[in-house]
Amino acid sequence: MLRFLVRRTLGAVVILFLLSVVTFLLFFGMPRDPALLICGKTCTPANIENIHHVLGLDKSIPEQYLTFLHNIVLGSDSFDQGPCPAPCFGYSYHTNEAVWPTLMDRLPTTVSLTLGAAVVFLVAGLATGLLAAWKRGSLIDKTVTAGSMVISSMQIYFLGPLALALLVYQSHLFEKPAYHNLTSDPVSWFSGLLIPWVVLSTIFAAQYTRMARSSMIEQLQEEHVRTARAKGMSRRYVFFRYAWRGSLIPVVTIFGIDLGSLLGGAIITETTFGLPGIGQLAVQSVFFSDLPLLLGVMLFAATMILLFNIIVDTCYAFIDPRVRLS
Amino acid sequence: MTSPPKAEGGGTPVVGGEREPGKGPEGGQVEGRSPGRLMWIRFKRDRVGVVSAFVVGFFFLIGLLAPLISKVYGKDPFTVYADERPELFDSAGVPVQPNGGISGEFWFGLEPGNGYDVFTKLIYGIRTSLMISLTVTVAVVLTGIVLGVTAGYLGGKADFAIGRLIDFLLAIPAQLFFIASMPVVVSLFVSPRDETPTYVRVVALIAVQWLLGWMSLGRILRGATLSLREREFIEAARVSGATSERIIRKEILPNVVTPLLVQSTYLLPNFVTAEAALSFLGVGIVEPTPDWGQMFAKASTELVLQNDITYMFFPGVSMIIFVIAFNLLGDSVRDAFDPKSAR
Repeated sequence: MLRFLVRRTLGAVVILFLLSVVTFLLFFGMPRDPALLICGKTCTPANIENIHHVLGLDKSIPEQYLTFLHNIVLGSDSFDQGPCPAPCFGYSYHTNEAVWPTLMDRLPTTVSLTLGAAVVFLVAGLATGLLAAWKRGSLIDKTVTAGSMVISSMQIYFLGPLALALLVYQSHLFEKPAYHNLTSDPVSWFSGLLIPWVVLSTIFAAQYTRMARSSMIEQLQEEHVRTARAKGMSRRYVFFRYAWRGSLIPVVTIFGIDLGSLLGGAIITETTFGLPGIGQLAVQSVFFSDLPLLLGVMLFAATMILLFNIIVDTCYAFIDPRVRLS
Repeated sequence: MTSPPKAEGGGTPVVGGEREPGKGPEGGQVEGRSPGRLMWIRFKRDRVGVVSAFVVGFFFLIGLLAPLISKVYGKDPFTVYADERPELFDSAGVPVQPNGGISGEFWFGLEPGNGYDVFTKLIYGIRTSLMISLTVTVAVVLTGIVLGVTAGYLGGKADFAIGRLIDFLLAIPAQLFFIASMPVVVSLFVSPRDETPTYVRVVALIAVQWLLGWMSLGRILRGATLSLREREFIEAARVSGATSERIIRKEILPNVVTPLLVQSTYLLPNFVTAEAALSFLGVGIVEPTPDWGQMFAKASTELVLQNDITYMFFPGVSMIIFVIAFNLLGDSVRDAFDPKSAR
């Protein structure tokens, strides 16, 4: 178990390192001058010279990368804006704020949005999917299957504005979604995130419904399930004690992947509802060509994905006793 | 036993070498039909599949004929009717007539704000989106074939290298990478001081989606090739002196057409929605070039949400229909190729 975790963590670190090299090269190593991107359309050569010097862009690319890596691990005092403790991703070009504290500032919004929605879509998806499998071939099954198919073909950038228009702008039933601090104002926190949760989890739940249904049906055809039935166990017992567990594996896999990628920023949902999370931060920093901030968000999001991959693989061992981690 | 299908005769590539035709559900009467023909017969019998194929074809036809349709219809997606016909709009730029200004003259109404004609904007938008997504799909399929089949056939070091590359690319947060790399890729072609021409944005969109789009297909093709490589007919070809190039072209490729076709039908709608997402976020295609996804961006502005909710249904509903039809088509193609696969 421990060996497995160590090995997977080392693998993840290697991938993160490669990713940082590639993104760094992409952002700073291209023939185009990042200073031009920062400076924009009204730029004098003196400005560019200044930017070069301030950002250390006049050094060679490997040198710049080593500085970048050094700052992440050990922090840095050489920034004009002030000291930058580890993990230091530098300062934003646009707002002049340190990248890491900005990320941590945005994180609660993304975590609230993701975890709230994840609970809803996992429960709703599993419940409807298992119900459809239990009543296979019935009207319920057909309704659930068709409904989940239509919903999973919808896009957040359609369903989100539609919900906003109908529930907020046209009927004034709800307030405009916003993020409030959970600890200081739990009621507004809940009401402000309600519509984003519902929209996000509707789309995700539909996929879980389809997956839970098909993997449950597959499980019911397994031999151990048939043996259990042949020994005289009731259908209900076999369904909820035997088959249910096996059908969880594909669901857990996708759940981990979804959770990891959402925690790195639910880009479209946050943009649609104007929630100040990490995804919105990424989109905003694209418009200002804010490379340090983008680099920080990229590495953070990749870390989340890799972390949840490891968590998922560890979870297999608990769900399926046949899986040995070594 | 299973001999490699003879593809030299031309016509449709012969597929489905996994099954022996004689053992198909049709029994003995199928003698003489190629697996490709069998698949076609099965597909034609699937009503859902045929209908979705027509719907998908309809969308492609619209995209293809957009200039012709708009010529007949007499409008284009670039005319700013807010300037041309100010009497149709109120002071906020919202169409005066109910339901977004739908009338005999403007079939789908007018866009709040600039007042573009929604009908032509939608068909031109579909044209732009499908053009980009189709190009990405072709690029992804070619890359998937080259890298996947190479990895599976050669094995050893090549397989290891390509396998690690796939692992690495899969760890990259795709959507974030798309939006983050768009300005960088665009700045490769034009100086940030100049206006970005549309074709540069199109090329950049294709490039970033292609780069992170081929891995799943590559993996599947690698797996398929790997299992084919050990089969007797490949061995027979090798023993009789066929070169690797010939084995790949004549023996392996015809046998991986099934997963290739099924996967591509699943991939294309994904590229359409991903491209639309980028345009929705504002990093893809921007006005005045019409684009499916960019219409969603317009639809989520306060002006539309507050005053003219009709507008958002045109891109929204058409995209839902498109995605559903494509997914159903994918299922039908899969079932036609492999009737044993369970839903």
